[in-house]
Formats: sequence, C-alpha cells, structure tokens
Amino acid sequence: MLLWVLLGLLVLLAVGACVFRDLLYVAISLALASAVLAGLLFHYGANIAGVFELSVCAGLITVLFVSTVSMTKDSDQGKETRMGRGFIPLFLLVFIGLDIFIVRWLAGALPEIVPGAGSGSFQDIFWTLRSADILGQVVLILAGVFGISALFRLKAKEKKHE
Amino acid sequence: MNNEVLLLFGCGLLLMMVGVYMLVLYRNLIRLIIGVEVVAKGVTLVFLAAGLFRQDVAFIQVLIVTFIIVETVLAAVMLALVVGVHRIYGSLDIRHLSKLKG
Repeated sequence: MLLWVLLGLLVLLAVGACVFRDLLYVAISLALASAVLAGLLFHYGANIAGVFELSVCAGLITVLFVSTVSMTKDSDQGKETRMGRGFIPLFLLVFIGLDIFIVRWLAGALPEIVPGAGSGSFQDIFWTLRSADILGQVVLILAGVFGISALFRLKAKEKKHE
Repeated sequence: MNNEVLLLFGCGLLLMMVGVYMLVLYRNLIRLIIGVEVVAKGVTLVFLAAGLFRQDVAFIQVLIVTFIIVETVLAAVMLALVVGVHRIYGSLDIRHLSKLKG
C-alpha cells in the first residue's frame, strides 16, 4: 500500500513539474518528487542513497533552481510550449498506455529472480569494488567547479572592458 | 517481488517519458533543465528496480550515489549557463539563441 502511495505521489509531482506555470512551483514540485523518491529508497533499505537524494537533490538542486529563477525573473518568458497545455492529459494517457504495453512485454521476458550471493556491504563495494568511481566523481566535481568559475570569471572580465 | 520490480520499472519509464515530453515541447531553458531532472528521477527508479531484481541493493546504492553526483554537477553547470544566457540575451527562450547558428 505504501509503495502505491509513494509511486502515485512521485508521478503526480513529476507531472506537476510539467504542468505548473510558475517556475517557483515547478522547482518546489521537483523538490517534493525528490523527497518522495528518497522515501522509496529508504523503503527498500537503500538508506545511504536515500540520504544523498534527500540532501543533494531535494536540497541543493532546489536551492540552485530557486536562485536561478529569482535571478532571471524579469526575463521575457514568451510562449513556453510548442503546443497548448490542453494536450498534456492526452500525452499522459498515451505515455501510460505505452508504459503498460512495455511492462507487460517485459513481464513475459523477465526470468524468475534467483537469489544471488550479493556483493557485500555498501562500504566494501564503494571503497574496493567500485573504487575507480571515486576518482571519476572527484574529477567530475572539479570539472563542475572550474566550469562554473570560468563562466562567471568571463562575465567579470566583460564588465571590466565595459 | 517480481511485481514490485515491474511496478518500479514502469513508473521509472513513465517519469522518463514525462521528462522527454518536457525536453521536446518546452522552450524555456529552466523548464528544459527540469525535464532533464525528471528523466534523472526516472533513471534512479529504474536503477532501484534493477537492484531489487538482482537482490543486491547495496551494489545499486553505490551506482545511485554516483549518478546523483553526475546529476548535481550537470544541473549546476547548466544553471550557470542559463544565468549567462540570460545576461547576454535577456530571455530564456531557446528561439532567441540564434547567435549560435553558423
């Protein structure tokens, strides 16, 4: 029952992010979707991933979105969609139909679950089996930091020239 | 358990479709980034379904954490670009980014 409630909420909030006109509501809807996803992760015992989802996705990314929305509030939004919003329920019905078709096909194709040995605890996998990922993560974070600082440094130089 | 895996997979797929819908039909840059985020939520859900299917949640947690870091850096860089685009063009409409045309 809890699974149905969480999944229903998650889909509703994701559709809300698509439907709301105000970008602030869209960002808040996305944050709530992240929080519900974190709840799902906790429900299945993926506690560390749940904490990351809650703190980083529902917290940090939402702050970034809200700051960007406030910094660009005065911009010309124009007509935001290629089609009217009236088409959203129609598309959603098509998506659900397609989804049911794919899942039914997959239900016939999936083999029965055979209990595996498991790879060990989170710490064992993170620090030994997937230790190369840590290097990738550090490089990625540094690339992000340097990318953002380069973007804003360029703006400062342009201001000096003006 | 197999039904739960299929349910999670189906919802993940639905979220990906909603995200792709946003990416294809919206013109506002912030909405496009939110579309990418919605796709990312769907991918996380499919990861979780795969972990439950293999009965190895610990392993999939590591991949989810890595994916969250990728998603965060991507969102941060894209939002910085959006602020830069807004400063130059005064608009977030992708049709106004015509200076990129060769």
